[in-house]
Amino acid sequence: MSALLSPIKKRRKPRIGRYVRIISGVFACLVFLFPVFWMVLTSFKMPRDIFTTPPTFIFAPTLETYTSYFFHADVPRRMFNTVIVAFGAGLVSIFAGAMAGYALARIKLRGAATIGVLILLSRGVPPIALAVPMFLVARNLGLLDQHITLILAYCTFLIPYVMWLMRGFFKALPAELEEAALLDGCTRMGAFFRIIVPISMPGLISTLIFSVILAWEELLFALVLTNRNASTIPVAIAGIAGDTVNGANWGALTAVGTLTVIPVVIFALIVQKWLIQGLADGATKG
Amino acid sequence: MSPATILLLVVLAYPIFYTLRISFAELNLGTFEADTWVGWDNYLAVVENDRFWNSLKVTGTYLILALPLQMVLGFGIAFLINANWKGRGVVRALFIIPMVVAPVVAGGVWRMLLDPLWGLVNYLLGFFGLEPLDWLGNPSLAMMTLVIIDTWRWTPFVTLIATAALLSLPRDVFEAAQIDGANWWRIFWSITLPLLLPIIAATFIVRWLGAVKMFDIALAATNGGPGQATNVINLFIYEEAFRSLKFAESAAMAMIILVLTMVLTGIFLVGSRKLEERQ
Repeated sequence: MSALLSPIKKRRKPRIGRYVRIISGVFACLVFLFPVFWMVLTSFKMPRDIFTTPPTFIFAPTLETYTSYFFHADVPRRMFNTVIVAFGAGLVSIFAGAMAGYALARIKLRGAATIGVLILLSRGVPPIALAVPMFLVARNLGLLDQHITLILAYCTFLIPYVMWLMRGFFKALPAELEEAALLDGCTRMGAFFRIIVPISMPGLISTLIFSVILAWEELLFALVLTNRNASTIPVAIAGIAGDTVNGANWGALTAVGTLTVIPVVIFALIVQKWLIQGLADGATKG
Repeated sequence: MSPATILLLVVLAYPIFYTLRISFAELNLGTFEADTWVGWDNYLAVVENDRFWNSLKVTGTYLILALPLQMVLGFGIAFLINANWKGRGVVRALFIIPMVVAPVVAGGVWRMLLDPLWGLVNYLLGFFGLEPLDWLGNPSLAMMTLVIIDTWRWTPFVTLIATAALLSLPRDVFEAAQIDGANWWRIFWSITLPLLLPIIAATFIVRWLGAVKMFDIALAATNGGPGQATNVINLFIYEEAFRSLKFAESAAMAMIILVLTMVLTGIFLVGSRKLEERQ
């Protein structure tokens, strides 16, 4: 494409520059991937292969750490909790946030611009300012350590996030799309669900995935609001990483870390086109 | 509109109001109710607390070091990986990976990589004839360590936004400038940068909104230490509230941080609007 459009540019620019860019770009990518690679590698090592100088690259892989820590750190239950809470919070937020985003994008309200700024500001509310009262209220209502509490807590940052992204997304759609339907007697709500939602699927899905990932990896609310029944995987990792009594348990850390990260990585890579598009839109539209 | 409004009122507005109330009260640790009104006492105690000021300073240092670094690296790497070749899509997709590693995992794994004794980073530095560094134990290095981990986690996010932004730049303007004989630096300074400025500002704000919440990485990697060297404000308030059970003082601190964050975010928003209008 660029060669067709700009023969001049091509002749002037030495080819070397392009190769330098490609090679250093690939190098940067490898540097950024290395810690993840090392984590996965370490999770398959025996302790005697972990604590060595120089570090071991070649070793007999073992599932030892996985089998011994899987039940030890209450991993299955935590994994189950994390899935419930992440998808629960993601779905509630996309439902409420997308509708509100649509309203902000289309309905002419006097204070629409102000509301827009308020949403963005609400994304800056420090979670600790919410965690303290939520803990106290949940404690007095007997709602500590329950999935629903964590789901509601995650709505505090997910709904504004979804509203912001989807408002930009809906604004970019031509208004004529629903106008015909509205003239035919369709309600706003009907037009939204029958016309806007189907054509916005890519945007909705990428936003949903982002929301699920954000909830999946959240730590502060999970630490404060749960302790056993509804506790999530990040809490377990914080516990292992911060365990100064038993010393560095790198096997457990990397094994549980790998279990946490790999599903999300696979998930994200499958939908990477939409994710990248969503990121780009999130910054440019709105 | 209404489900979101109701939810946000319940889970966002009400807790903020509740925090405000506790911050002017004494919390009875027997009933966990805020029963006695104490006026500005909690705020006075906070202002006189050296560790609170230290924590603000630590957070400020982190923000001032990390945000510009991530912006420059993010756009720089975006320029590199935008070079047109077969593997471009793959490289870009792979950059998603650090971005979806849970921050708490990132903190833990980097703690392992930077371990003074068994860590891989010090081993690699040895190849360049460098002495092993105490990344996590040396108070002045620990802040750098925090910044490095955070930069690893967040630069890909900036990179992915920047790749899209760079690709959307109008080609003809650059060609015209090249025909006019403008050099590389001049093109960058008078065309690329001004065209990118609005998106740089927008990316900065999104990144800022995330960075002020810094908690997970600090907790997992350094736990605020050594001493108070990396005790960012969210971690500090968390410990004051849930370890020392000083809920009322923590609420006062949280209110101060809330107002500070809102004011700064507001200033950045106005700044970015101005940049957009100038175009």
